[in-house]
Amino acid sequence: MKRETKRKDSARRASFARLLIPLASVLLTFMVLTAVFLLIGRNPLTAIYSFFQGSGLGMKSSYTSSSSMLTDFFSYLGILSPMLLGSLGVVVGLRGGLFNIGVSGQMLLSGFTATVLVGYSKLSPALAIPLVLLIGLLTGALLGAVIGWLKYRFNVHEVVSSIMFNYIVSFLTGYFIKTRYVDPIIRSSRQVAANARLNLTFNTGSGLKLVIPVGIFIAVAMAFLIRFYLERTVGGFEIRMVGFNRHGAAYAGVPIRNVMVRTMLISGALAGLAGVTYYLGYYSTMVPKDLPSLGYDAIAVALLGNLGPIGCIFSSALITVFQKGAVYMSSATGVVREIASLVTGILLLFSSLGVSMRDRIRHYD
Amino acid sequence: MIDRIIIDGLAFSLPLFAMAIGGIFSEKSGITMLALEGIQGFGAFCGAVAFALLQPLIPGGTQVIIYPVLAAAMLGGMIFALLHAYMSIRFRLNQVISGVVVNILAMSLTIFLTGLINERLTGEPSNKIWLGAAPRFSVPGLSKIPVIGAIFRDLYIFAPFIVLFALISGILLYRTRFGLRLRACGENPQSVEAAGCSVKRIRYLALALCGLLTGLGGMNFAFTFSANFSPTIYMGYGYLAIAALICGNWDIRRTLFTCLIFGFARSGGYQLILKLGMSSDLSDLFLMIPYVLTLLLLLFLSRHNHPPSALGSDYEYDRR
Repeated sequence: MKRETKRKDSARRASFARLLIPLASVLLTFMVLTAVFLLIGRNPLTAIYSFFQGSGLGMKSSYTSSSSMLTDFFSYLGILSPMLLGSLGVVVGLRGGLFNIGVSGQMLLSGFTATVLVGYSKLSPALAIPLVLLIGLLTGALLGAVIGWLKYRFNVHEVVSSIMFNYIVSFLTGYFIKTRYVDPIIRSSRQVAANARLNLTFNTGSGLKLVIPVGIFIAVAMAFLIRFYLERTVGGFEIRMVGFNRHGAAYAGVPIRNVMVRTMLISGALAGLAGVTYYLGYYSTMVPKDLPSLGYDAIAVALLGNLGPIGCIFSSALITVFQKGAVYMSSATGVVREIASLVTGILLLFSSLGVSMRDRIRHYD
Repeated sequence: MIDRIIIDGLAFSLPLFAMAIGGIFSEKSGITMLALEGIQGFGAFCGAVAFALLQPLIPGGTQVIIYPVLAAAMLGGMIFALLHAYMSIRFRLNQVISGVVVNILAMSLTIFLTGLINERLTGEPSNKIWLGAAPRFSVPGLSKIPVIGAIFRDLYIFAPFIVLFALISGILLYRTRFGLRLRACGENPQSVEAAGCSVKRIRYLALALCGLLTGLGGMNFAFTFSANFSPTIYMGYGYLAIAALICGNWDIRRTLFTCLIFGFARSGGYQLILKLGMSSDLSDLFLMIPYVLTLLLLLFLSRHNHPPSALGSDYEYDRR
């Protein structure tokens, strides 16, 4: 009886800590942000609110005839989808004890492959959209699996190899975009045809055009799917086991090598999906040699989300507000928009310290 | 052409080597060091700010200012290296994650502050701090020797510093009591504690040394490859330095060798394009060479490597 209450007590404390720590890091970040705005002489309240206005979560003072709060909001969802998918990729890797810092490279490669293979074709949307998604998934999975294979076969640290792949992919795709697929005016790849973009477009009667990103449905579905996989299936359990204690898992008979490649394969596949929703959804062109910084922001999202797929939905929603709203914030208050990445950095700092705090709380229980 | 390959190759290898030695100090003491990229960037940023501040005050041009600027860069690097140390020693954060946090924080902080400083100083937001070309010199006499003389020709002012620091590091790491203890921290921290030394203090010191050297390397890169401080400083040289030290099996002499290979592969590729008169688009493919080479070298060398056995472990003296 006594042991029962004690266990309940510690479980309650653990779940409390799981909620409290991300909230505390968000609160601390807002405090730092307020201090920064005060230091450079801006009203912190209006500045912070303008982030939300820019993301379609608050009314702006004026809109053009073809836009409204709703178009801003769907645009926000459009960039939220790759962020969420990328962070899920990081989560799967970290749960398996592998750090996929190559999300950017996997995004770039899958986006490039899909652009080249489908982006310039004349397929109907009903065919092109699934095809783009499939290509993104497979390309990312392939690159991820190679990183995992190098790890187990040659003992190459996954962080080093995935960073090398980031640069190799960036130079390689940059070369092909510049020589074969360049649009000389915008100096990036030619625009992807509308039929291959991962968007559903609706024309409302009053001249308002709504662009609903397909990616967001896939991203949220993936979050629940990954949660189910990690928590409720043997395969997911093996991944978590290897992540928790590689030697223990090996002793228990888990095929470590197999699991390592599988972890990176799933992680890469998610990053690949993020790539196509980024380059063929939110954007429609690719700038040569430009690694998306979103691949690194995804790490912050994953840590802030407590390495849980559902947590990532909330944390990506928050971080995307800063990333997306920065443009409007910058025009409204005149502060450089790089402050968005600073906020992400600070949030990452606090949330990673929070993860270590949580581990220690668990340790003392 | 051979001369050019040697001169440019050294100009790339030496700063890389400085950063790699920094990484060796850290990893030999048992702290995984993925933060080199951020540390070198923050060091370069501090140096660039010092340059922008000192330039109107001190007459004599770059030739004179370069010394306080270098000191600022090294101190800046040390600050961020100690941040990594604090997070991984005091907070016992996963050192890989801590390294990435430092990288992202350094990148965002420097880009934000650069924009802010430029807005204050010049009125227009630019993401660059102008530095100008670094002074170069040739060693009299030695540089006249054919072929090999190129090693001593057109050296950047940083080169003698890096050579000096490398020698000091070599002695410190392999010939002193402190070096022995530092290496022991990475292999068997309990034995260091049993011998009556503090593992944590040695690790903090190792990280401070790492920051100094990495800041120097970062400043060198900012001066020699772009003549300004801009976000392009985050080109992945920090990661290349990590790869170099892994290929070099955490040994200073072998790491020098791998750094030289990277440098000459890079400059050799450039010269080849020039020689063959190929289009500038192809230069991207040649810029890729060091990274591909790194990956290949890692394939062959990683299996026979002996990383410090306590690498990446947090250490508590009361842990059994």
